[in-house]
Amino acid sequence: MNGASTAKKRHNRLPAIAQAGPVSLWMILFVTIPMLFIIFISFMTRGSFGGVEYTPTLTSYETLADVIYLNVILKSLRVALVTTVVCLLLGYPFAYYIARKPADVASRLIMLLMIPLWTNSLMRLNAWMLLFQTNGPVNKALLGLGFVEKPVTFLYTDGLVLLGLITNFLPFAVLPMYSSIEKLQTAMLEASADLGAKPSVTFFRVTLPLTFPGIFSAIILTFIPALGTYTITDMLGGGKVLYIGNIIKNQFGTIRNWPLGAALSVLLLLVTALLIFVYSRFAKIEDMEVL
Amino acid sequence: MKRTLSVLVALIMLLTLTPAFAAQEEINIFMWSDYISDDLIANFEDEYGVRVNLSYMSDNADSITKLTAGAGSEYDLIMTCDAYMESLIAGGYLEQLDLSQIPNSENINRAYWSEQNQGYCVPYLMNYIYVVYDTERCPIEITCYNDLIRPEMKGQIGSVDGARNLFPIALIALGYDPNSRNENEIKEAYEWLVKYNENVVAYGSTETNMVSGTISCMFTYDGNTAEAMAQLGENNTLTVAPFTSDPVQLGFDLYVIPKGAQHIDLAYKFLNYICDPEVMAANLVDNPYSCPNDAAVAAASEEYRNGPAFNFDYKTNIFFQEDVGDAITIYDQYYQMLKVG
Repeated sequence: MNGASTAKKRHNRLPAIAQAGPVSLWMILFVTIPMLFIIFISFMTRGSFGGVEYTPTLTSYETLADVIYLNVILKSLRVALVTTVVCLLLGYPFAYYIARKPADVASRLIMLLMIPLWTNSLMRLNAWMLLFQTNGPVNKALLGLGFVEKPVTFLYTDGLVLLGLITNFLPFAVLPMYSSIEKLQTAMLEASADLGAKPSVTFFRVTLPLTFPGIFSAIILTFIPALGTYTITDMLGGGKVLYIGNIIKNQFGTIRNWPLGAALSVLLLLVTALLIFVYSRFAKIEDMEVL
Repeated sequence: MKRTLSVLVALIMLLTLTPAFAAQEEINIFMWSDYISDDLIANFEDEYGVRVNLSYMSDNADSITKLTAGAGSEYDLIMTCDAYMESLIAGGYLEQLDLSQIPNSENINRAYWSEQNQGYCVPYLMNYIYVVYDTERCPIEITCYNDLIRPEMKGQIGSVDGARNLFPIALIALGYDPNSRNENEIKEAYEWLVKYNENVVAYGSTETNMVSGTISCMFTYDGNTAEAMAQLGENNTLTVAPFTSDPVQLGFDLYVIPKGAQHIDLAYKFLNYICDPEVMAANLVDNPYSCPNDAAVAAASEEYRNGPAFNFDYKTNIFFQEDVGDAITIYDQYYQMLKVG
């Protein structure tokens, strides 16, 4: 009995290695090792010309506990949260609308959603800046139509940063929710209606719980990148207000404090891990809709 | 048959290539991209029968990393800036220069080239960081750094970024050494900069923001000002702020020979070539920056010499960014606080 099971195991090993091997190797080389390296240098000393001196220290983590970093982290969390909520509120009805269309129309709508992503994100950001600058088309239109008397300052305000974040991440919120809603069987909704539920009750007690994996994927796909982004906040915010992504970028750039940058990155990793953990408490990871 | 033929062709190719390689010497230069005219490089190659290999840096830190890691085996000339010279000399990362090999270096104004640096570097181009404003849109006339923190200037200023560019003007406004290492002074400068920060609309992209009307005053490089003025063309109402007593920061990009460089002779020839007044004057057409080579400036075009971005009368009331040693961590800390708010 024992011998037979061992033989069976041995028999299964080769195909398993052949199937999972390349992916595992890829993940180890390009995800695990770099990540371990980041964790490693976060415990080292900063070099005077950038780089790292290999003397172990906890300085970076002590610096992180400083109240100013705590404020940045809170501020970044708040912006990421607002972005995510707006993306969900706008994205869910939109995804629902697409999912209820016939397949050919739906695929065309999805295509429309994707088209902006074909251009470089820096081009899109520059486009926003050109549109909203003081002597740009938006201000000219507002002045021409007599809505305002002097140009409105849009550029480098929190509002424009938020607009940039939302437009950038909306497709990532819509796609997983669309995929979840599409799987929803009409029979379920009909059954709910037959049993006397009003449409609002059906929505909150049937549709919403069944599409939850898509919603949570949307949260993860918008919240985490929004938390770490720096180009959008840098360009549209004018480098005046810094979020955690900008601080990390500065540590590796102008300030040249790599260990602190690494420690901040580790912090971001922990926030990400926490989110995935929370998700795993509510639902199975396998159900997560990631396109 | 085919194989014999291909081997033969390969052999012929190899034979014709080898002498060409042997005859042509090479010089390897590491510097900023778009910062030297292509014609200058081509003419130097023709004149001396050598090949110039240019590689480019993307950050000042790149050249420091190369120099401190021992760049002599790879490069013959490396561009860096004045702020790092003290530590580079102290660290023994540079070849000492023999100026008799660079006779044209006589053309360089000694006011811009300290005695200590003369032994190790040759200044190339330089940039002022000063204040420029729009005479029609700016609410007040700016004559000193303290004018920048007046409440009328709220929402008017575009600024360069970086601790070592911002803190010196605050220190000067407060009457301290722009390269102070004193924590209390740096802290006061931070408090000054908090007020400055309230008036700033955005850091970076100063010329774009000026041309688009987003700002009416900028603390920026002379090169960016020249660009903004050129873009505004006939509508240019920008002027370099008529500072009365505050000094302005002057930074240099300069060439050094890394310790153990392979082609020191060629490096000298190149340095002597770029110090030639006519050569540098032609280079200034493509790279219209401030130039420490007086003879070259005299030989440069009327347009360059009368450029409104370089037309101000306190060109020698300057200060330099010096190495502040370990105090850099204090600067970084307050800079971070400033940016985080």
